[in-house]
Amino acid sequence: MDKNTLKHIAELSRISLTDEELDKFTPQMQTILDSAKELQKVDTKGINPMKKHTPFSLLRQDTPSECLTQEEVLKNAKYTEKGYVKIYGKIFGSIEES
Amino acid sequence: MIDTSKYDIIIGLEIHIQSKTESKMFCSCPTHYFEKEPNTHVCPTCLGLPGALPVPNKRAIELCILLGLATNCDIDNEIHFDRKHYFYPDLPKGYQISQYKRPICSDGYIDIKDEDGKKYSIGIERIHQEEDVAKSTHHTENGREYTLIDYNKSGVPLIEIVSRPNIRSSYQAREYASKIRQIVRYLNISDADMEKGQMRCEPNISVQEKGKWQYKDGKILPIGDYILNPKVEVKNIGSISAVEKSIQYEVERIVRDIEEGKKIIQQTRGWNADKGITEFQRSKESADDYRYMPEPDIPIVEISEEDIERVSNELIELPNEKKERYMSTYSLSDYDSDVLTANKDISIYFEDLLNILSKDMDIIIAAKAASNWITGAVFSIANDKKIEINEQNIPKQSLAYLITEYEKKILTRNKAESILRESLENEKDLKQLITNAINENKSNTDNLESIVLDVINSNPKAVSDFKSGKQATIGYLVGQVMQKTKGTADPNKAKDILIKKLNG
Repeated sequence: MDKNTLKHIAELSRISLTDEELDKFTPQMQTILDSAKELQKVDTKGINPMKKHTPFSLLRQDTPSECLTQEEVLKNAKYTEKGYVKIYGKIFGSIEES
Repeated sequence: MIDTSKYDIIIGLEIHIQSKTESKMFCSCPTHYFEKEPNTHVCPTCLGLPGALPVPNKRAIELCILLGLATNCDIDNEIHFDRKHYFYPDLPKGYQISQYKRPICSDGYIDIKDEDGKKYSIGIERIHQEEDVAKSTHHTENGREYTLIDYNKSGVPLIEIVSRPNIRSSYQAREYASKIRQIVRYLNISDADMEKGQMRCEPNISVQEKGKWQYKDGKILPIGDYILNPKVEVKNIGSISAVEKSIQYEVERIVRDIEEGKKIIQQTRGWNADKGITEFQRSKESADDYRYMPEPDIPIVEISEEDIERVSNELIELPNEKKERYMSTYSLSDYDSDVLTANKDISIYFEDLLNILSKDMDIIIAAKAASNWITGAVFSIANDKKIEINEQNIPKQSLAYLITEYEKKILTRNKAESILRESLENEKDLKQLITNAINENKSNTDNLESIVLDVINSNPKAVSDFKSGKQATIGYLVGQVMQKTKGTADPNKAKDILIKKLNG
């Protein structure tokens, strides 16, 4: 993990980090990766991933049901307009926190 | 026009189809969001609230399998969902639930008809199930840009169909897109209305020098030290014809850039239908970084042979097969068969009409008659009147009656067509109009004999000319009959009676 990789990952999530923050978080991220590396040492050859299986017949039937009210949906939005969630900023550029 | 003959065109098409289900892909919110009040078809799951769990919609997956079966794909025996991460306000979870390494359907193909009329197979790499995102619209207010978001569309089932890059012309791309649309409509998987965003096409286009590349194992590979030109993705295509037009435009633009020695960059461009051009949106210098991971909230779904068998029961005769049958069983032309099978409802109307007609006449004659009438007068009148061809507007029993009377030569084509037009224009009962016309005809025919005798008696010169061998005089006499009947008589019938009387 180097500073540039961390910067890239942060940008993908639209988080801007200062140089100081990058310096601080880079070794922290490395610690996390090292822990994961420990787990990867375990030999899992021939062992199926531990994930639940379910038969097709048990999936949800295609029946619509009640939704939240518009008021409830918009409750957590910082800005709203005519029933829409409103976000300031250029969509492909920086998006302000909403 | 730019000369593109030095180059090969390579196109792959990604098509998204909104499935026609009642509820969303991973929650029970209703899907019918069109023109609904914003943010009223939303729940914690499709709003991406913490702790909400996705539960796959069985019907949506059946429709995805159905499309795979219809396009000759292999169907996987397990369904694996994955998270595709990207950060964008239309995707409140921060990831889209999609499928990465194991799509439900893979390795299929569909046949289209190429420009020269020959069959051409377009490969389908994969068909997978995912979810739609919210709808966002962009605005400006006092110079400040903002976006409005409606989450009603968020979570609607979306099927992605990825073709192999073996589409070689804008024409093939259009035919392929139109065939996919036809299939999903036939199978009732989607209404696939592109204007409403129920179907979206995104072509990937590249232009390569002839002989410098090869298509191998579904991939485009360079030959020798040739460096492949990067591809361009086109978005914002709102109609089937725009698929063709945008590719034509893009190919010429890329070739012009190559010829002018400009550097070709991998980029996404948007089709501007008003201007008929593509516009630069963004460059794609680095590979997409979606950080896919298995979706931990959804178990692996097992699909048995019986499940696939059950879905395949919904496979009805598809347009290509139907067309083959029309040509072989009913001896209809390639063109007529194409027109009649283009739309499922029309083909059903045709087959019903044929069923009625063939009770009274030979099936081949009936098919030819039904086809002529539907693709001719019915289409043209329906088009003028902007009405749908269906039982309510044009009852099949009545149309069959009209066709039968025409075939029996009781009604002329002109008369029959004007009856049909009259019925549709003035919402009059077709059957009643036909019966009236027949009765009128009958009394005219009864009258015709006396009118003919009248004409013979009052034109002694023409009669003697005819009798002395001037055959052409008959035309004049027929004209006299037509005048007396104010054009309502059938001229052929008038001529027959005239000759009979004159020779008798």
